[in-house]
Amino acid sequence: MARYRYPKIPESEVTPEPLYRARRKFLRQSAGLAVAAAAPGLLIKPAAAWQGGLDAVPESDLSTDESLTSLDDITSYNNFYELGTRKRDPSDWAHQLQTDPWTLSIEGEVNKPGKLDLDDVIRPDELEERIYRLRCVEAWSMVIPWVGFELRKLLERHEPTSRAKYVVFESIYDPDNLRGQRRDIIDWPYREGLRMDEAMHPLTLLAVGLYGKPMPNQNGAPIRLVVPWKYGFKSIKSIVRIRLQEEQPMSAWEEKSPEEYGFYANVNPHVDHPRWSQARERRIGESGRRETLMFNGYEDEVAHLYEGMDLEKYF
Amino acid sequence: MFNKKTAINAFRLLVLVACAGPALWLGWAWTQAELGANPAEAVVHFTGRFGLGLLLATIALGPAFRLTGWVGFMAARRQMGLWAFVWLCGHALAWMGLDQYWDWPWIWQDLWGLEYVRYGVAGLLLLVPLVLTSFRAAQQAMGKVAWQWLHRLVYISATLGVVHFWILTRADYRDVTLFAIVLAALVAFRLGCVVVDRRW
Repeated sequence: MARYRYPKIPESEVTPEPLYRARRKFLRQSAGLAVAAAAPGLLIKPAAAWQGGLDAVPESDLSTDESLTSLDDITSYNNFYELGTRKRDPSDWAHQLQTDPWTLSIEGEVNKPGKLDLDDVIRPDELEERIYRLRCVEAWSMVIPWVGFELRKLLERHEPTSRAKYVVFESIYDPDNLRGQRRDIIDWPYREGLRMDEAMHPLTLLAVGLYGKPMPNQNGAPIRLVVPWKYGFKSIKSIVRIRLQEEQPMSAWEEKSPEEYGFYANVNPHVDHPRWSQARERRIGESGRRETLMFNGYEDEVAHLYEGMDLEKYF
Repeated sequence: MFNKKTAINAFRLLVLVACAGPALWLGWAWTQAELGANPAEAVVHFTGRFGLGLLLATIALGPAFRLTGWVGFMAARRQMGLWAFVWLCGHALAWMGLDQYWDWPWIWQDLWGLEYVRYGVAGLLLLVPLVLTSFRAAQQAMGKVAWQWLHRLVYISATLGVVHFWILTRADYRDVTLFAIVLAALVAFRLGCVVVDRRW
């Protein structure tokens, strides 16, 4: 099996040293400022400490340098059926999602299961900015500057057992507040899953912010998954439960239409969806279409996970 | 005061405004960036829904006349049917131009690769003979019975349109169900008339 390698960075992308030094200095200063700014709040509510520093986290080597989609487009064009099925519904009804307090359960095949407060899940020193392409199965795409940390860091803290083969995620279920959940559009709560090696991959992120600010509700506050080489629906929003198990789980979309939404849902220009040709995509904010890249452009990083698999069968 | 003719003309004017007005709104919304992050998709969806809605409304004018006896409904029928065709052509052009950027190989590939596109195109093409025979001289040349039979193709076209909409709906079937119910009611009314009149 090919060993995983971090992508090579072209010379043009390397920051010149004076800029690099200036940036480090700026980060140190802003980090200091963030701590100072959070200090009065610490007495009342230590929770907000990580939120204040989201704009000062280091940028990851795994980021793309493609131009960012505007904040306005990222936050007003969403699929988040808990808040409604139209693209504008999630931003219109974002206030219905209650994100504080928030607990995240980690259970199943782990030595240290637990029900954690969000502030115990998020460790400020693990946060990075990750600029990823996002490709929706509906054939549109965006470039989003997430702030988050690698899922594997959280999983490792809870010590997966040898029987942990898959990770299952579950979104918030709150039909009293979330208008979309009062109708049987899909079988609530929303569920998604990853194979263990996919979950442990360095690209797989738990995101808590974007554009240096806490995650907007319509984008899956307070904590969501981001799996950039898979269609957007795999990147489950507003997670309340993470469960490790031996059997392959069934995702909410897969259960609804197994012939349309496979478990893997890897971005693949060669396998069409019955409703959308996947060969090309519309980058939001751009005119024209661009050709869709295998694994959404993350082929060098993830192709080895699927070596020997028939991707038409395991779509 | 209002005589019968004024009422009919007023209704025809109302139909004109109702059919053309949304085009002005759409153009305005486009220039004002009111169509959201994906304006091309918004235009394709709006033209499709409005065009299919107008096609069903056109079919509904027949039953409306039969139930009320008011000739204004029939007087507006050709106009509304032609508007439905215009909107559905706009829908097809918006798909080819705004969504596919006139990329003919890709358009061709989607046409044969995606089932719902085929149904939509077939539904639109079925309307062409109806449009070509919509003027009075064609009606007279064909004879009334033949003309009526030809124009019943509108039911097949509308059905293809609803099937097209149904297939491309991802999960929330409220809107397309409404279209399907209206279509089913119109077909049922038409079949009911056959029973009552004892003739096709």
